[in-house]
Amino acid sequence: MIRLLGLQPTYMSHDVLEFEYRISNIHQNTISAIEVSVVWLTEGKGTEDLGVHFFQRLTGNSLAASDWSLPQKVQVPLPDSPLSYEGKLLKISWCVRVRFYLNDGTELVAQQPFYLGTVTREV
Amino acid sequence: MSGWWFVGSFGEALFFASFFLVGVVCLTTLVGWQFLSPTTQVVKIGYGFWLLTTVSAAFIVMGAVGFWYRVLKVATSDEHREIIAKHGLVSRPNRPHPKVLLPPMVPLLTPFTDSPGAKLAYRLPGEWPGTGALICIGLFAMAWNAMIAVFCVFAVGGFLQGKVQYKLIVLLVPGFYIGLRAGQLFFRSYVREIGIGSTTVEIEDLPLVPGRTYKLLLVQYGRLVIKKLSIRLVCEEESTYHFGTDVRTERAVVWLQPIMEQGRCRIDWGRPLELESQFSIPLEAMHSFQSLHNAIHWKIIVEGEANRWPSYSRSFPVIVYPLVRNKPVSPQS
Repeated sequence: MIRLLGLQPTYMSHDVLEFEYRISNIHQNTISAIEVSVVWLTEGKGTEDLGVHFFQRLTGNSLAASDWSLPQKVQVPLPDSPLSYEGKLLKISWCVRVRFYLNDGTELVAQQPFYLGTVTREV
Repeated sequence: MSGWWFVGSFGEALFFASFFLVGVVCLTTLVGWQFLSPTTQVVKIGYGFWLLTTVSAAFIVMGAVGFWYRVLKVATSDEHREIIAKHGLVSRPNRPHPKVLLPPMVPLLTPFTDSPGAKLAYRLPGEWPGTGALICIGLFAMAWNAMIAVFCVFAVGGFLQGKVQYKLIVLLVPGFYIGLRAGQLFFRSYVREIGIGSTTVEIEDLPLVPGRTYKLLLVQYGRLVIKKLSIRLVCEEESTYHFGTDVRTERAVVWLQPIMEQGRCRIDWGRPLELESQFSIPLEAMHSFQSLHNAIHWKIIVEGEANRWPSYSRSFPVIVYPLVRNKPVSPQS
């Protein structure tokens, strides 16, 4: 589960995005890796593009060192651009994404969208 | 997509791995045989040898690239692949930030600021949509007429030697016609593109920032009577996508703001038409954006109608930076 710690899911450039994620119903020993990322992606008519602003991969010792019964807090300063946008052919959206890789090969993904900037629709 | 995706990806990886192995075996056999036992070598060094070497090397490269691409696609997430593409497989220590930070995914400003204007700060580079077609028509006309000229030499040579090549002459008649029409089309396009005279646009400042007002100067050269000339600020979305085996690009105008309109006037050599105006970028405007398959472009479009000339449209791209609260985004030094 991912939870944004801001009051609203709208952030401005240079704001610090603060979020936490926690694991429930999965035993810690069954997790082989966790990837936490803050990404923007395009949707719409064109082929989808993806940009990674923040990326963190936890495996082995770094995974074992954390107490997974507590929520894991992450702080990420946000960039100037690209701002979230909804146009005619193109939509740019931002989200926090967490991927869990389990020992049996299963991959679980959770994501939480948020808005960067105040350009809420086509101008 | 149907079936188990892993089997498909595994099959693709296996296919490229076999390509790689075939390439390695062929190249090793060719080169090894050549150097270890040159007397029994079937393929002597020459055209055939180099052709086989190149093909084997191509197999190796294609196999290796295809194999690793498939493996990475299966073994890593989209985000991880993006990070590997950006920073490489081995993570490097964080380097200190450069003095000037450019907003990510906004096109570089350098091509727009390297040409100073005569009255205002910058002269904008123009985009001529017809230039590519003009060059293609010109190249085709040149190549076709050169080919016809060579065949003409053969035909005349044969005629002088008393051997009239009727088949060649019959083929030359439509060839002449196509060459003539291609030349005509090229010169007509050339006159239309160049004959009206150049258009230059100068701007007070770059990059543009939402909420601010900028001065603009348009200079139209040439010798013609303008019936109507209009300047517009346009924001256009551009998306590229695959449709079957085609790659298609679609564009949509999402913002159009008239800046200025000029009625009938006369332009002469040495006395160009100069129009000064002002325009603002809307406060809630989206900034310029460029990713691999999608883009948001801002441009100033000049459209004109002149006596005895077809109407024309010239486009001058500009860069809009995002509006940043508390801290202005530094323009490129």
